[in-house]
Amino acid sequence: MIALRAELVENLGDLEGLREAVQKAIELEHATLPTYLYALYSIVPGHNREIKRLVKSVILEEMLHMRLACNILNAIGGSPVINRPDFIPTYPGPLPGAVEGGLTVPLSPLSVELVENVFMVIEEPEDSLEFPGRIATVASAVTIGQFYTAIAEQITKAGDGIFTGELGLQVTGDLGSYHVDPITNAASAVAAIGTIIEQGEGTTQAPIDAEGELAHYYRFAEIVHGRYLVANASPPPDYSYSGGEIPFEEAGVRRLVVNPTTETYAPGSGARRANDNFNYTYTSLLKSLHATFNGQPDELMTAVGLMESCKTQALEMGRLAVGDGTFAGPSFSYQPVNPWPERLTYVLRFHRPPYPTGQAEPATTASGLDVTTMLEGGVFSSELNLVGGAIRLSCRWSSRRTRTGRCSSSGERSASGMRARAR
Amino acid sequence: MSYLAALRLHFAGQFQAAPSTVNNDPLHFDNDTFKPTDKLPSLPPPGDPRGWWNPRGNADWRFIGCRVTGASYADGTRATAEDPVLRMVVADADRRAAAKMADLDTEQQLVSEIWGLEVRICDGNGTTVLRGEFAPAAFIDIWDRAQGPGGGGDIGACATYQSIVGDLEWGDLGGSRLLGELRDAAADDGLLSMRFNVDGYNMTLGSPDFTRGRIAGTIGVASASEPKHFVAGRQFMARAASGGNFFKPTGSINFCTALVDEELGRILIDLGNALPTVGPGGPQEDLGELTVGYVAAGESKLTSLGVIDYRADAWYPQSAGVAEVALDEAQVAAIREAELGLSLSSVTSVTFESPGGVYVKADDFVHRLDPGDVAEVAIFATRYGRPYAGAEIVAVEDPSGLQIQVVPGDPDVGTPGSAISFAKTLEPTGEDGRATLRIEAGDPGNPRVFIDGQVFGVRPSLAGQAADYPTDPWNFISVLVFDEFKADEPITWWGGVQPVFQQYSNLYPVMDDFLDLSDYKSVCANLDLLELAFDLDTGNPNSMPVTRDLARSKRAAILRWMGNRGPDGNPLLGTPPPPGAPKPAILTGTASGATARPGAWVSGAAVSGAAAARGGKAAAAARRVGFGTTGGRDAR
Repeated sequence: MIALRAELVENLGDLEGLREAVQKAIELEHATLPTYLYALYSIVPGHNREIKRLVKSVILEEMLHMRLACNILNAIGGSPVINRPDFIPTYPGPLPGAVEGGLTVPLSPLSVELVENVFMVIEEPEDSLEFPGRIATVASAVTIGQFYTAIAEQITKAGDGIFTGELGLQVTGDLGSYHVDPITNAASAVAAIGTIIEQGEGTTQAPIDAEGELAHYYRFAEIVHGRYLVANASPPPDYSYSGGEIPFEEAGVRRLVVNPTTETYAPGSGARRANDNFNYTYTSLLKSLHATFNGQPDELMTAVGLMESCKTQALEMGRLAVGDGTFAGPSFSYQPVNPWPERLTYVLRFHRPPYPTGQAEPATTASGLDVTTMLEGGVFSSELNLVGGAIRLSCRWSSRRTRTGRCSSSGERSASGMRARAR
Repeated sequence: MSYLAALRLHFAGQFQAAPSTVNNDPLHFDNDTFKPTDKLPSLPPPGDPRGWWNPRGNADWRFIGCRVTGASYADGTRATAEDPVLRMVVADADRRAAAKMADLDTEQQLVSEIWGLEVRICDGNGTTVLRGEFAPAAFIDIWDRAQGPGGGGDIGACATYQSIVGDLEWGDLGGSRLLGELRDAAADDGLLSMRFNVDGYNMTLGSPDFTRGRIAGTIGVASASEPKHFVAGRQFMARAASGGNFFKPTGSINFCTALVDEELGRILIDLGNALPTVGPGGPQEDLGELTVGYVAAGESKLTSLGVIDYRADAWYPQSAGVAEVALDEAQVAAIREAELGLSLSSVTSVTFESPGGVYVKADDFVHRLDPGDVAEVAIFATRYGRPYAGAEIVAVEDPSGLQIQVVPGDPDVGTPGSAISFAKTLEPTGEDGRATLRIEAGDPGNPRVFIDGQVFGVRPSLAGQAADYPTDPWNFISVLVFDEFKADEPITWWGGVQPVFQQYSNLYPVMDDFLDLSDYKSVCANLDLLELAFDLDTGNPNSMPVTRDLARSKRAAILRWMGNRGPDGNPLLGTPPPPGAPKPAILTGTASGATARPGAWVSGAAVSGAAAARGGKAAAAARRVGFGTTGGRDAR
């Protein structure tokens, strides 16, 4: 199971700490989606239909959970942040808030091993119910369920007074087969958290939620067992993986690249371009969701349109062979322009007089650039996105002299003793 | 005002347009003869063209890597590197799906429109400085731009889009003087004017550049009172030479527009879609010195106003082809009532302004109408670039730019003429040079059987125009009139919905990966999303059908069907038609059952067979009713 860092639940007593925890919950719900989606996208259309249905059903509920968490945060006067580059975790990598050395979540095509070693671990309850044929579990720590339970407990403790958020910020009503009621007080927030926990983990008594649906963990276990979990006619045990077959058809899975990044695909290649298009759409989706949960709830339908667009593009990418018998898959990277402008590192070298000990060094600035700068003993380096045209770099030091360098994306130019090198 | 003004910015980069090409063949609309292989890419000529060159297209339209490449201020000075606008990019929507491209009809594929395009100007990190809605627009003035080898068909073509950009949202301008001037100048009407040229389009499946091409354009300020889709300026009228797939101008210069800025003393000419290139998307072809001049009273030759340095490095990407020539006061006065001309030193023919400086054009030239609808089409008449008041304009039905193919069974266009009505003579233009053409739509009565409605062409022109008056073949109004749709009540899957959905399933294979629109169960399983998509405004990029060819009555019936759930929670199924039900007469005795029709597309058309056989716009252009000497309706 996923072990989350203890500090996530340490500061819940403070309202700001509570809001931070719910923001982390939003990030956590989102973070499961790329890995589940990647597996889903790897299924060849028309194959592995039951597995596809099961994975998709979990995905839809994770989306619902993200929506519920956003509503809770809005209800307690916070503002969900979904549009920042760091909202997307690195794949492969830990889920947001997870302890170091825990589960590494990849972008990988569907396999029984992936479902068993990653998906089931993500969804594993604190005390998973033992059924015949069950897989051994990892020793427990702080689960996602415990994290949510702690949030619910704190909300109950804080009481209805913290529900100061504007109601119109919440995204309520019907979407698909889910109905979402507004969160107005501690009881409705705790109920929403209950839905999240039960859909993910089931109850402590049964592998099903209040609607009689199997919890995520057990849906994934069905895939691993290759059979449905059904109620036994003569318990105990109450359930067993003895239902109808869920065949896994290996030939019905595209061998998508494992853990692609933007650099996986050669510049100028069809796969790179398709990945750029996908990432731009995916980034647009995050921006659209951010708008949805920050005052424009009607934008949810636009976000749904972007989700469909991501799906169409990902399935087309899976038809692009990229060597070694593998096919392209989306890297789920933050990319707010399509494509990124050339990324260049400029190293400027200049002379300057040594400073007497104890005297504060003057600032070195690069004007007109949104860059992170660094001064390393006379070497000024700066990484920036070049969008054509001339770039003015001004460095100021004791003599207050201003130097101007013109840089281009290729070659090397120097001016007034400053050298600009493009790499 | 328009983009053709001192205050403007230029951009260049790539565009992507990924249409599905299955619907390029009118006979693919016939559900009864559609074959599974029609969803696959063409076999090499003379093999079966099947679903043509991109059957899996999703209709996305995008700006790719477009950068601001140049700009000039309202006072006529050029922006320098100090202005951060020159480090910005022109991008599309970052909060909704990509724009979509759609043809008007399978028998009018030469006015492809862009729908749902949001235009942004942003910095290199994607932070939006300006966003706005590009009003749907169709391309016009497509021509054979690329010279030399490799230029055949669509690959060698160039066309241009022009529209207004509204719903402007300005962000932090980052200290850009140019953007500040644009914002202030656009404050009154809240509109920008945007034009872009597209060429060098790649149709080679498997190429990294597949469905991409070059784009270069200009953004300026628009006035609500002026045309949205062209500049009411001074129109250079190309004359057609023989050959070419689309249009080959005798003077090597395509139709283009100039505008005289008397205050600043200069003439601006948009040559972005007018000068030939070396190869597709290549540099400008060197045709010698390009002179802009005028025909002085009593003269027959051009008096030069100046030369245009179109051969300079990066001239096209940095200017999008917009050139300026300075004029002194005497020149400004001299050209007020004199025809202009463009002359290349290595080309014999001069490209002149329209005779007497008079020009007539419909602004919105693409219309979709349901029976009972009226399109009020603004027609603008200009004389030497100024409003032409009191102009008498006539309109005629003219299907010559629509497309049919010369194989049996291909439905005719433009009939019955009674399905559209309009006044043949318009009320004279007002002081603003404007007249209104009212086109009323009736019910075509399903003349094309398996294709909804009918397409018509209407051409406005000046009354009493001489026979040899130069005309732009693309300057006409395309109208698609849908049939009145009648279904069982209550409507059921088999009683009206299935044939419509079957057709979309056939024509749009990219959907097959997640939805079988021809299958009741599959449709029921995706009902929520379908209901959402069919209920969206067609301006929304996610609107279904992506082809924007669904009659209002059909859309209403489909939504009614989706909303009326039976006891099982699904929409009504109804009963399938009995096998062997009689087919309408048009489907009998046709070639529609044939397995392949190699070469049929271009037989009888005087074009390069190889170029047109690749499909795309070249194939459509070869099938124009009024094209060539042997093609067209009389030859059928």
